[in-house]
Amino acid sequence: MTHVRLNQVNVRIPIYDSQGLRLLRLPFFKESRVGTNTVSRSGGVIIMHALKDISLDLAEGDRVCLIGHNGAGKTTLLRVVAGIYPPASGTVSVQGEIFALLGTSIALNSDATGYENIQLMANLYDWPKEDYAATVQDIEEFTELGEYLSLPTRIYSSGMQARLSFALATAQAPDILLIDEGIGAGDAHFQEKAQARVQNFVSRARIMLLASHSDALCRAMCTKALVLSKGEGVFFGDIEEGFKVYAALQ
Amino acid sequence: MALTTSPASRNFNGARAIPQYQRTWNNLRKSFSWAWLDIVCQYRRSKIGPLWETINVLVMLTGLAVVSSAIFNSSLRDVIGYVAIGIIVWSAIGALITEGSMAFVRNTGFVTGSTLGIDLYIGRSVFKVLITFAHHLLIYVLGVVVGLIPLGFTSLLALPGIVLLFTNGFWVITTLGLICARFRDVDPIIRNLLQLAFFVTPVFWNYRTIASNRQFLVDYNLLFYFIEIIRSPLLGEIPPASHYLAVLGVTIVGYLIAWLTYRRMRAQLAFFV
Repeated sequence: MTHVRLNQVNVRIPIYDSQGLRLLRLPFFKESRVGTNTVSRSGGVIIMHALKDISLDLAEGDRVCLIGHNGAGKTTLLRVVAGIYPPASGTVSVQGEIFALLGTSIALNSDATGYENIQLMANLYDWPKEDYAATVQDIEEFTELGEYLSLPTRIYSSGMQARLSFALATAQAPDILLIDEGIGAGDAHFQEKAQARVQNFVSRARIMLLASHSDALCRAMCTKALVLSKGEGVFFGDIEEGFKVYAALQ
Repeated sequence: MALTTSPASRNFNGARAIPQYQRTWNNLRKSFSWAWLDIVCQYRRSKIGPLWETINVLVMLTGLAVVSSAIFNSSLRDVIGYVAIGIIVWSAIGALITEGSMAFVRNTGFVTGSTLGIDLYIGRSVFKVLITFAHHLLIYVLGVVVGLIPLGFTSLLALPGIVLLFTNGFWVITTLGLICARFRDVDPIIRNLLQLAFFVTPVFWNYRTIASNRQFLVDYNLLFYFIEIIRSPLLGEIPPASHYLAVLGVTIVGYLIAWLTYRRMRAQLAFFV
């Protein structure tokens, strides 16, 4: 059974910056609307308390969007689930294969062509060889990039990169998909296609976590919402309720 | 395929129920193809790609061979093979060390944004150096063809030397990559020391000509042994067992250091880069 369980997870992010940090006046973090307000100093290192006592239990079929101000901890939460950030305390239990798409582009080498990136991706993530041709065809159809797939990905517009990244992320239907902002860059037509693809993907009883500021995208892709504010979970449940809670925060 | 974690410990290699040796082999294969693509792209952006570096090496070794033969009063013909192989091996040693310090910093996007294991970035760096090194071997082939470098069965003994050198690349890059990601002052220090090491190591000067009261420069210089286990067989001499022992010792200690560094710093890597 695929699941994601966080129990009382705290994340503290150290900021190593030997110069300048001495001048920061920590109490002022409380006044900012963005980010976390719990910042401490330990030796020469500033520590941001980015997630506070987050508990979460996701089961098969859950499609959750993370909403909150900039710096509320959305990406940090995705990174914890992905195993990129270690929790300072609390436990993270994940069952199932994770694919994380954090940041706009997952192009592995921007000088390489779209096709070469697909090939390398297949290699790095152990895509089954026998389905490779079909997968490439699927990516071609989904991205509608045509001849652009034969050009270096560095010339792609951000929307085109979003198309390719999203196609790559969902090509193999991982058990757990973590997506961050980036795919918001696609145009309306792409968003529709992405939505259909995710629906298909989630119908296979999988978990998706999406961090986005686009209400439309969240509503299209998710059924639940986790509202974060200054690193704390303030609401978890139905997406529409979540948006109300979020609106009340402003 | 449970992946339950307690604070600050986690299976970072993805949770596959396959044996470790097979995973290691797969990761080597994967990182090789990544490095290969990097080199292919290098060729694409310039006409001869990494061969420019080979030309750099060629220019460098010609110059230093001339200087060396003048200082040590020997004919250019005698020293050029020695200097050439010395510089080629040195360029690989230097590249492994400098690549190492950038291995994770350069891959920030993947380290903080993907679930790929860090062994892939390490392998990518080592194999990039290996492929570039293979380009430099063209100079060696040229030397053999024009008769400046002897060729015999002993030459084959260089192969284990090359394997040993690049085997050490993995621990060097793991250790330096992690340390340099956390402490940004280390990289410039290392570059400095590398420059110094080039002059005090018998790369372009013959270790047999050193004054006896400076013999320690050779004896205690571990880099020297790495060069010699490749250079002396290519020049027709069988390296003494002590050279291999020194290199094996460094390899074992090195992997131990890498393991300790990894255990201490791996979990925090995403905070460093």
